[in-house]
Amino acid sequence: MISVQEFLARTRLERRSLEAWIAAGWLIPPQTEPELTFSDVDLARAQLIRDLREDFGVNDEGVSVILHLLDQMHGLRRSMQELLNELRAGR
Amino acid sequence: MNEDPYTVLGVKREATQDEIRSAYRQLAKKLHPDLNPGDKQAEEKFKEVSAAYDLLGDPEKRTRFDQGEIDASGAERPRERYYRDFHGAGAEEHPYSSSSGFADFIDDEDILADILGRGGGRTRLRIRGQDAHYRLPVEFMEAVNGTTKRITMPDGATLDVAIPAGSRDKQILRLKGKGGPGIGGGPSGDALVEMEVRPHKFFTRKDDDIHIELPVTLPEAVLGAKLDVPTPSGSVRMTVPKGANTGTMLRLKGKGVARSDGSRGDEYVTLKIVLPEQPDPEIEEFARRWQVGQSQNPRQHLEV
Repeated sequence: MISVQEFLARTRLERRSLEAWIAAGWLIPPQTEPELTFSDVDLARAQLIRDLREDFGVNDEGVSVILHLLDQMHGLRRSMQELLNELRAGR
Repeated sequence: MNEDPYTVLGVKREATQDEIRSAYRQLAKKLHPDLNPGDKQAEEKFKEVSAAYDLLGDPEKRTRFDQGEIDASGAERPRERYYRDFHGAGAEEHPYSSSSGFADFIDDEDILADILGRGGGRTRLRIRGQDAHYRLPVEFMEAVNGTTKRITMPDGATLDVAIPAGSRDKQILRLKGKGGPGIGGGPSGDALVEMEVRPHKFFTRKDDDIHIELPVTLPEAVLGAKLDVPTPSGSVRMTVPKGANTGTMLRLKGKGVARSDGSRGDEYVTLKIVLPEQPDPEIEEFARRWQVGQSQNPRQHLEV
C-alpha cells in the first residue's frame, strides 16, 4: 500500500489535482479511512492519466473517455487470454 | 539509447520547443504502451521517443546536450510499471476492471455466458467437447437391413453403433456425448459417424428402391416363366410374362428398402435375354428361316 505522500511524490502530482481526479472517478483508492492509501494499480493509472494530459494534450473529457475505453479493452483482452489459456490446457 | 534524439523525434536541430513538443505528442499518441497493450515494438519505440523528449523537451537539458555536456544516454528515464501491466490473465481484480466491452455477448442461453461469466471474481470456463469424426464402412446389405457395428476409438475404447435399416451412403449418424470430453465440466462433444456403404455384387440402390438385372433364357422370355428372384429380404417367385424382352422392367412391390415410416420401397427387375454360350445349330437354322426376324430393324432410332 502506498501513502498519499509517497503517491504524490512518485506521480509528481499536486494534492489538489489528486483530489480532483478521485472526484472525477479516474482513481478509486482502495482505502480512504482512516488514511487515504493507494495500490500499484492506482500509481500506474495515475501515470497514464498524467501522460495523457501533459504529453498528449488530452483534455479532461477526453481522459474520461480514454480510460473507459481502455478498461473495456483490458477486460476483453483478459477474457480472450483466459479463453485461449483454457483452450490450450483443455487439449 | 545512443541514437540522436533529434532523429528519433524527427525534428531539425534548430526546431523550436513547440515543434519538439508537437513532434513528441504525435509519436507518443501512436506508441504509448497503454494505448498499444499488445505491441512490444511500439513499447521499445516509445521508450526511445520519451527518452529523446526528456532531453529535448527541457530547454536547459537541451542546451547542455547541444553543447556536448551530456550525451543521449544520460537522459533515459526508467519507467515504472505501465497501467496495462495490471491487466493480464490471472491479474488481481481491481476497481477498474471492466467487462462492459463484452457484456452484450452474455446471455443465459449462450455458451459464452459459461465462458465469459465471472462468478465470485474467478472465471469458470465451461466448453462443450469437440465432435469426433469417424468413417464407418458398411456392407450394402447391412445398410439396407440395419445392424450393429463396433468401432474402436483412438483411445482404445469401443463404441457400438446401431446402423438403422435403410441407411444411405454418406449418411451421418450423430452419437450424442461420444465425442471429446468437455472442459471445466462442460458436456462432451458428439461422435459423428459417416457411413460408407459398399457396393453389392448384383443389387444397386436408388433411394429406397432396389434394382437388379435378371438374366433370362430365350424360351423363358418368349414363352413366359415363373422365376426365383433375389431381394434384400430373401428370394421371391416372380412371373415373367410371355413375350418379355431385354430391358423389360418388372416391379416387385414392397421388396425394396425399409423407410423410417415403416413402409418399403420396391424392387425393380430388368430382364436381359442371354443366348447359350455355345453356338447351337438348331437356333442358327431357325434364325435363317425366320421371316419376321429377318425384316426387323431394331436400330431405326439410331438413324443409320
